[in-house]
Amino acid sequence: MLNLVGLITLGAALALPQVAMAGDAAAGDQRYHQSCHACHGPAGKGVSSYPKISGNPIEYTREKLKAYRAGQKIGPNSGLMIMMAKPLSDEEIENLSAYLKDAKYEK
Amino acid sequence: MKHTVKKTLIASVASALVMGGTVAVAAGMDVPIIKATPVLEGLDKPWDMTVRADGTMFFTEKCKGLSMRSPNGQVTNIYGMKGSSGYSSSGADLFCEGQAGMMGVAPDRNFDQNRRLYVASTSDKYHGSGCKSNFERCDGNIVMRLTLSEDLKSVTDRTDIVTDIQYKPFESNQPFGGPGAHNGGRLRVGPGGYLWITGGDRHRGVCPQSPKLLCGKVLRVDTDGNAHPDNNPPAGFDKRIYTYGHRNVQGIDFRPSDGKAFTAEHGPWHSDEITALVNGGNAGWDPQEMTAGRGACPDKYCGYEPEQMDGMDPAVRASYMPMSDTRFDDLMPPTWNNNGWSQGTSSAAFLKGENWGIYEGRLATGVLGIGFGGTPIGQRIDMVGITSDGMAINAITRMPVGFSKRFRGLVMAPDNSLYVAVDEGEIYRITATSQQ
Repeated sequence: MLNLVGLITLGAALALPQVAMAGDAAAGDQRYHQSCHACHGPAGKGVSSYPKISGNPIEYTREKLKAYRAGQKIGPNSGLMIMMAKPLSDEEIENLSAYLKDAKYEK
Repeated sequence: MKHTVKKTLIASVASALVMGGTVAVAAGMDVPIIKATPVLEGLDKPWDMTVRADGTMFFTEKCKGLSMRSPNGQVTNIYGMKGSSGYSSSGADLFCEGQAGMMGVAPDRNFDQNRRLYVASTSDKYHGSGCKSNFERCDGNIVMRLTLSEDLKSVTDRTDIVTDIQYKPFESNQPFGGPGAHNGGRLRVGPGGYLWITGGDRHRGVCPQSPKLLCGKVLRVDTDGNAHPDNNPPAGFDKRIYTYGHRNVQGIDFRPSDGKAFTAEHGPWHSDEITALVNGGNAGWDPQEMTAGRGACPDKYCGYEPEQMDGMDPAVRASYMPMSDTRFDDLMPPTWNNNGWSQGTSSAAFLKGENWGIYEGRLATGVLGIGFGGTPIGQRIDMVGITSDGMAINAITRMPVGFSKRFRGLVMAPDNSLYVAVDEGEIYRITATSQQ
């Protein structure tokens, strides 16, 4: 009995980190509208010479934001993104990734 | 008697405070009702437009081409670019890259007779063997004179009247450093029917102050592309140049009272500017390294320095790399510098018509929004009151359109409404209705 409880608890403990890190798309939407929208446009659709960033898997966006935050140069506008990503927390990155995955511009 | 008068006065003032705007109107301040209505949606990077008296609108999409919206709402794709489909015809030499592509459009002053439109675009037609690095001449921007068919739906003649404006073909070590940067691109027909063409410095330090390169200049030419006979740039300069020393001009219009040209220009992490142009004047932008107290700069371009990839107090940065360097004797000092911020001022149009009330005669400027390094994003249209001598502002009011977008192109229509293109993909018609 105790072993079973122990197993369940262990299982729950193992599962918890993933649940805690799942992004909140609504919070990502809010964070997106603080600054990202000014260049990337509504719902990450891309405007002017700024690329579309919506419709990508969460892992893709998370990896890109973490790379920029670490100061990694990827393309010609990396300098701009490194500046923008520097203040992002892990939680904000998760939220933004979740929001952008399904974000759609409805006009 | 005195007491009664005082009581009446207090009552009047109290009711005046409650009535607010109504009292202002009664006192003589005509604040118009301003309303924005979408004209077209779902466009791909609309950049500029021009509107006829019957409501026909010609517009450009930076990577697709020139189109027309008829008064009944039908859209015809007239002249495309490399890779465009669904156009009556296309120029396979026209392309887009980064900030560059098909940009400004303006009608001939006698359009109703000759059906001529002037269109600015990036083109690979006159490259020759092409340049190998950004530190060479690198032509790549042209101005086309297009003659439209009688039904306005296709091009019957294309003549390239300017073929040698520089373009940035390679990436450089700058913010926004991709190809096509600082490509200017606005066209307007001014007094006497002459064509004004605005340019950008294409991230090359020597451009704006160079006598022969056309990057970083405002040109004034006739409709064949020849220099206006009264242009007066310094000796040895290309005669098509009206003013030089510009960074990236995307707004130009002519003051209704006297035809004086005013430009709106993007600043380098500080100081977007409105400038009253003087024939032969220097806008004061000189981003060369080893100049004016500066050392070496990334790719020989000091435009965003110092610490170009980091935020900095704009005033401190401006002292190192000024937008209008006062060391020049022929400097045209800015009329307005946006409180020292650069927020992406992209277009300008003087508000015409009594329907604009107290805003009639002000310069409307469209701001894209930036938001780097502590600068507030600031997407908006401002209505700027300019003093009669053109050297300062006496009023600035945000136009209450009800939304914030990347305001890219502004142009007045003959019915005194203001048409606005936003990068997000829409064109709006903004009306003002006088309350008097």
